[in-house]
Parts: sequence; C-alpha cells; structure tokens
Amino acid sequence: MTKHRIATQEEWQAERKELLKEEKELTRRGDELARKRRELPWVPVEEDYRFEAENGSKTLAELFDGRSQLLVYHFMFGPSWEAGCPVCSSIADTLAPQVPHLKARDATLLLASRAPLEKLLAYRKRMGWGIDWVSSGGSDFNRDLGFLYTQEELKPFLEGEIPSTVEQNARMCGTDAGGYVAEGPGLSAYALADGTVYRTYVTTARGLEPAMAYYGLLDRTPRGRDESATEPLWLRRHDEYELRP
Amino acid sequence: MTEHRRGRRDEWLAARRELLDAEKEHMRQGDELARRRRELPWVPIEKEYVFETDRGTKTLAELFDGRSQLLVYHFMFGFGFRADEQSPGCTGCSFVADHFDGAVPHLNGHDVTLVAESIAPLGQLQAYRERMGWRFPWVSSLGSEFKYDFGAAFTEEQQRTGAEYNFRHVDQPLPQREGMSAFALEDGVVHHTYSTYDRGVEQLMGTYRIFDLAPLGRNEEGPASWWRRHDEYGTPREEATG
Repeated sequence: MTKHRIATQEEWQAERKELLKEEKELTRRGDELARKRRELPWVPVEEDYRFEAENGSKTLAELFDGRSQLLVYHFMFGPSWEAGCPVCSSIADTLAPQVPHLKARDATLLLASRAPLEKLLAYRKRMGWGIDWVSSGGSDFNRDLGFLYTQEELKPFLEGEIPSTVEQNARMCGTDAGGYVAEGPGLSAYALADGTVYRTYVTTARGLEPAMAYYGLLDRTPRGRDESATEPLWLRRHDEYELRP
Repeated sequence: MTEHRRGRRDEWLAARRELLDAEKEHMRQGDELARRRRELPWVPIEKEYVFETDRGTKTLAELFDGRSQLLVYHFMFGFGFRADEQSPGCTGCSFVADHFDGAVPHLNGHDVTLVAESIAPLGQLQAYRERMGWRFPWVSSLGSEFKYDFGAAFTEEQQRTGAEYNFRHVDQPLPQREGMSAFALEDGVVHHTYSTYDRGVEQLMGTYRIFDLAPLGRNEEGPASWWRRHDEYGTPREEATG
C-alpha cells in the first residue's frame, strides 16, 4: 500500500464536510433519476411468455404472485452450463435477503434463466438462496429483452481479443467464451394493472451495480474497489474464496 | 394504482435512452465521489479501544482479522425504531444489516473486514443475531467510548447540551444514531478514513436501490413507517396493528 496523507481529526473533519455536500447532491440526483424512471411510459407486453416455476408452468402475469409489481433479474445460466455466472451469483447474494422487504411494498422479485429448472434449483440449493427462480428456456423472453445473442451477432467480439475476465467466468460456468457471452445479464421491471402486464424499465451492465451490495461498501473503504480493467476480476462465488490459514 | 401513461415500445425506447445518458452521468459522478473519498486524509487513532467478540476480548486493530481494511457498522441496540425488550435491535439497523451477509464473503475476499458494533452485552447481540439468522461478526463496545467518539452515540450530557451528528450541530441528539466508519491498518497503526451517517447509510440499503427501479418506486409516505424486521412482515400481530 502506498503511503497515504495523514492529518489531524480537525483537518479530516473539514475535508469530510466538503465531501458530504457533494454526497448529498449525488443522493438528490439519484432521487431525481428514480422519479424520472417512474415517468417512463408503460409498454403493454403482448407476447404470451411461459416460465417453468417450482409450482408448475406460469405466465408472466402469474409471476406477480398477487402483487402489482414484478422485478426479474436475468441471471446468466445457459442451458448447457454446469454452474451459474459468478457475477450474477454475487447479485443473487445481494437480492435474496431483500425479498421480504420488497414483498412488503407490493413488489415480487425473482430470478429467471434459460437453463432447465432442475439445474437452477440444484445450484440455488448449493448457494443457499431463499429467492424464487424460474426457467425462461422455453420462450423468447430473454431474446426479446436483448439478453440472448446469436453466435452470428457475437462473431466480431469473439474474433477479437477476449478479456481475461470473460475467459475466467466462462471456465467457472463450464462453458466457453462464446457460450458465456451469448447470455446477457439484466433487470426488467413490470406493472400489472387491470389484468394487463406492462414493461416499465429494463437495465443492464453497470445499471446492475445497485444489485451489487459489495460495491457500495467498497466505495466507502480506504482502498475502494481496487480492481482494474486489465486484470481478471477478483470476484468468486461466495463458497469459492480460498480459506485463509 | 393511479392511471399511468401508456406508450408504444419505440416511445418507451426513446425516453429510456435519454434516461440512460442521465444514469451514466450519475454513475460517473458516483465514481468520482468514491475517488474523492479515497483522497481524504487518514487520522491515526491513538486511543485504545477494546471490544467483546465471539472470540474473546479484541482491540480495534485485532478486529481487522488479518485484513488491511475495516468497516464498522454502528448498530443501534436497546434504542431505536421499534426497539423494545422483546426485540432490542433497531428495526432500521436490522433492515440495513439484512444486506451484510450477502456482501461479507466478497468483501473478505477483497481485503475488507466488516463488523457491526453495539453498546450492549455481547450475549444480547448474539441472541438477536441468532433470531435474525445473520452470520456477520457483531461485537460489543459496551464500556468503551468507541461509539461516542465516532459520532453514533451521545452521552446524557450531550443529549441535553448538543453535539455533532452527521457533521453538523444537533441541539438535542438522541442516545444513538445509525452510521458506519471505515479504518485502515498500516504499519501496526489504525487510521480512521471515513464515516457516514443518516441518508449516507441509506446508500448501503440495496433494497432502496432496487425500489428505485420499480414501477411504483419506494411507494412510501416517508421512510421507516412500513419497516419491519424480516421475520415480522405479514404476521397476525403486525396486520392487526400495522
């Protein structure tokens, strides 16, 4: 670790107060963005999607489970993979404990993946998550949202230099780089009103960071995220970090 | 539900793209603030703080548990929202703490230790943690000035005459407030690097960040009123009184 600037309590306090003003400003801008999200028009979902759930085959409307809002995390788990994406797994670590609080405010949150339900449930058991997970493998749900790519579409990416993180994650899932990036991560939000399902919001990439609790915490530590684009990602599944002696 | 504006997919897409630009800008401003936080000076801690933990009495340096960075959540206990003899942990802090176990293995794997700290006997913390099904380390700072020195608890005198909370003067602070402090260990010396309070703690409540993506948003009159411990939602007692 490089030597860091040292100060007295009073000096720190003065700089911290300055920073607080900007933190408050950022929080307020976040509130404003949340308001703008709620102002997006709602788009009726006309396709008849089907999902395999633990209690049988379900429509999108049925996934709301009696509530008026549905949030779906599109967890990368391809049909032939041996295990789920490690980054999506860290997101499920964050999301699973939120479920009871979200339910209390009329929102159902679940995971959806293209792998067969049996595989999803076995992996969920390994990871110990208490969150519903459905298989969307039997419909075009992922493709329609832009979270499934064809090998043709991926050709330019796969012909270039493949980032080491992609290689690493693909290996951890028991697939290759092409198989890994065919699946896309994302979060989509829906409202149910008068029997009609509306899509209200979709996000991906860094838009998913709100679902990565560890980043919010690391952003407040002395060394921050401490990662670089040129090194393979440090993230592992929660049961795969090496135990220290 | 109030009538909401309906749109075609292309209308939604145009509005969504515009919003994405604003979201990206906000994200970059957040990155910039994280960088500024790391530039804050470090303050060496000269006082000796001692805690009761699951593994015996430990100093602040020992709480790092072999890592170089430490986050301490100042958990309100024996006082706070809906805290009583049956349920002594603050309901708001319990909501915050529901977010910890999912993050701890990843933080630990990246040289950061996270612990919660409360001014209550260790046995009471352990019993409450067991009820809530949490695994993160929770230490007792009872008898130490730690929570007071880091601005999350106030002496009886301060409660009468005023003190600073969240970096501004409060005339009559409550006995305890929520907060989190960050520390770095270097060459055997513990340094205080950062503290955050009030809505700064809300940034650690991932559930709010998910609500902010949902069609109805936070769907609340003001924070807190609807909060319950995760094992208390929808129980007959809550429905009768809630």
